[in-house]
Amino acid sequence: MTTQTARRTEPAGAGRPARPSRWSRMRRSGSGIALLFVAPYLLLFLVFRIGPTLAGMALSLAKYQITGIVEWRGLSNFQRLFTDDLFWNALRVTAVYTVIAVPLTLAVALVMAQLSARSIRGIRVYRALYFLPVITSLVTSGVIWQWLYAEHGPLNGLFGLLGIGPVPWLSSGAAVLPSLSLLSVWTRFGYDMLILLAGLLAIPKEYTEAAMLDGASAWQRFWHITLPQLKPAMFFVVILEIVQSFQVFDVIYVMTGGGPVRSSYSLVFFVYDQGFHYFDFGYASAAGVVLFAITLVVSLVQRRLFRED
Amino acid sequence: MSTVERVARRPRRNRRRLWAHLPLAIVAVATIFPFYVMIVLSLRKGQSLSLPDALLPFHVNFGAYADVLAHAQVVRWMLNTAAYSVLSVVLVLVFASFAAYAFAKKRFFGRNVMFWTLLATLMVPYHLTLIPQFILISRMNGLDTLWGLIVPTLANTQALFLMRQFIMGIPDELIEAARIDGAGEIRLFWQIVLPQTKPILATLGVFVFLWHWNDFLWPLVATRSPDHYVLTVGLNSLQAQDSSLTVTMAGAVLTFLPILVVYVLLQRYFVRGVTMSGLK
Repeated sequence: MTTQTARRTEPAGAGRPARPSRWSRMRRSGSGIALLFVAPYLLLFLVFRIGPTLAGMALSLAKYQITGIVEWRGLSNFQRLFTDDLFWNALRVTAVYTVIAVPLTLAVALVMAQLSARSIRGIRVYRALYFLPVITSLVTSGVIWQWLYAEHGPLNGLFGLLGIGPVPWLSSGAAVLPSLSLLSVWTRFGYDMLILLAGLLAIPKEYTEAAMLDGASAWQRFWHITLPQLKPAMFFVVILEIVQSFQVFDVIYVMTGGGPVRSSYSLVFFVYDQGFHYFDFGYASAAGVVLFAITLVVSLVQRRLFRED
Repeated sequence: MSTVERVARRPRRNRRRLWAHLPLAIVAVATIFPFYVMIVLSLRKGQSLSLPDALLPFHVNFGAYADVLAHAQVVRWMLNTAAYSVLSVVLVLVFASFAAYAFAKKRFFGRNVMFWTLLATLMVPYHLTLIPQFILISRMNGLDTLWGLIVPTLANTQALFLMRQFIMGIPDELIEAARIDGAGEIRLFWQIVLPQTKPILATLGVFVFLWHWNDFLWPLVATRSPDHYVLTVGLNSLQAQDSSLTVTMAGAVLTFLPILVVYVLLQRYFVRGVTMSGLK
């Protein structure tokens, strides 16, 4: 055992030995065995991920009959899509929701991360509580919030005390997306907060202490030290939130069904509705391809913006 | 005792501490309030639901729970959800750790191509693959079956990546030494590699459990008869059928309770999982 170990470490000490050929390296580490280890996962991945991805793209160019017959239609699904008011409405709804929900969620998460980075008594309890909505299913959250938002529900009760309202939270086209965004803040800030908090706690104390000695104000310290240091964590959270918002579905399905009058009819709701309500699989897939394209563009743009320096 | 003395000596610092608590406490109350509403309403069977009475915790009547459990199906939904979540956790971890070991520690034909393909498909929204996946499972007569629900969710790429990352950190010398001692490939994996990955297995397991317990869209399209619903789909159907508010809220509590227990017991794994995903 000892001699073998000694023999194995010898080449490292003796400088760079000739690299063994690619094939013999594979043999030594057992390429065949390796493939056996990957095979079950890979099979599942091919059948349920790669296959459906390609099939989804193919379906976007076809009409799928319930009998299973596929008719190729070229780009006609996309032509129909781009002249369909419902589709443009879905894009608008998704964009407006994202523009409201993402900054709001991130702002709350950032403030709460900053506040709970302090070491005061009971801070762990606070952090644990903030995470509770994250573990709650969106269906459960939707069921509860639907009552919170009801015409005679607690939120309007509270507003009534202040002499405001009743606010038509979910029943007016103008209010429904801000209301759903507020729910998204509640469900998501605990998760983002934990990521940002980990980023905050990783910033060396010396940085802020040095800045304090130089007389930097709290705001300057936050702007010039904390925020730049937090960039990687922010990058992750921003992408995560935008992707999540673009794919909003569960709460809409449970709470509004896309209404009132389609004013919360999001892109993924469009895919679901066309696919599983009208069973127009080809048309729904075309909308899915558009979602894919948007996701790609957004993440490429963000990579550019955040990783430049 | 000593705290009291210290506090007495520094009243100003004490007051500042109170200010530090104030915003944290306000947000905590806002966070908890919906849960409070859910619980209080679930206990008000047969009572008026007008405000502000409905929100006062003076009535405790478990009638709504009896109602929702008397729906024999709620128990079924729980069992279905438990089976869906637990089996998925076990199988995802098995497949992902097998593959992750090979990707981390072995060279094989096409490894890099495969790895980049996996990475690229992370960008594909789930909703694009949903329809083909549905067609596939329905052609295989897998709708309304447990396997049809579970199998499409097993190729979990995030799990594979996190496992691979972790296994790469296991020293090659450890594996090499066991091999020299004559351990076969399978034994090497089960007895040397897998025990090292316990922390990440626990973290991932908790998250896979959470995803499946709360999953909605796939069970919504893959199950047709109420016998095969999971809790999220069942709860939605309770609400859609205009069950009384108290019964729906009792259903919501029953959906939430198991995941709460898991969270309370395994909280550190949740925290670790979140920070791991963020700072990768």
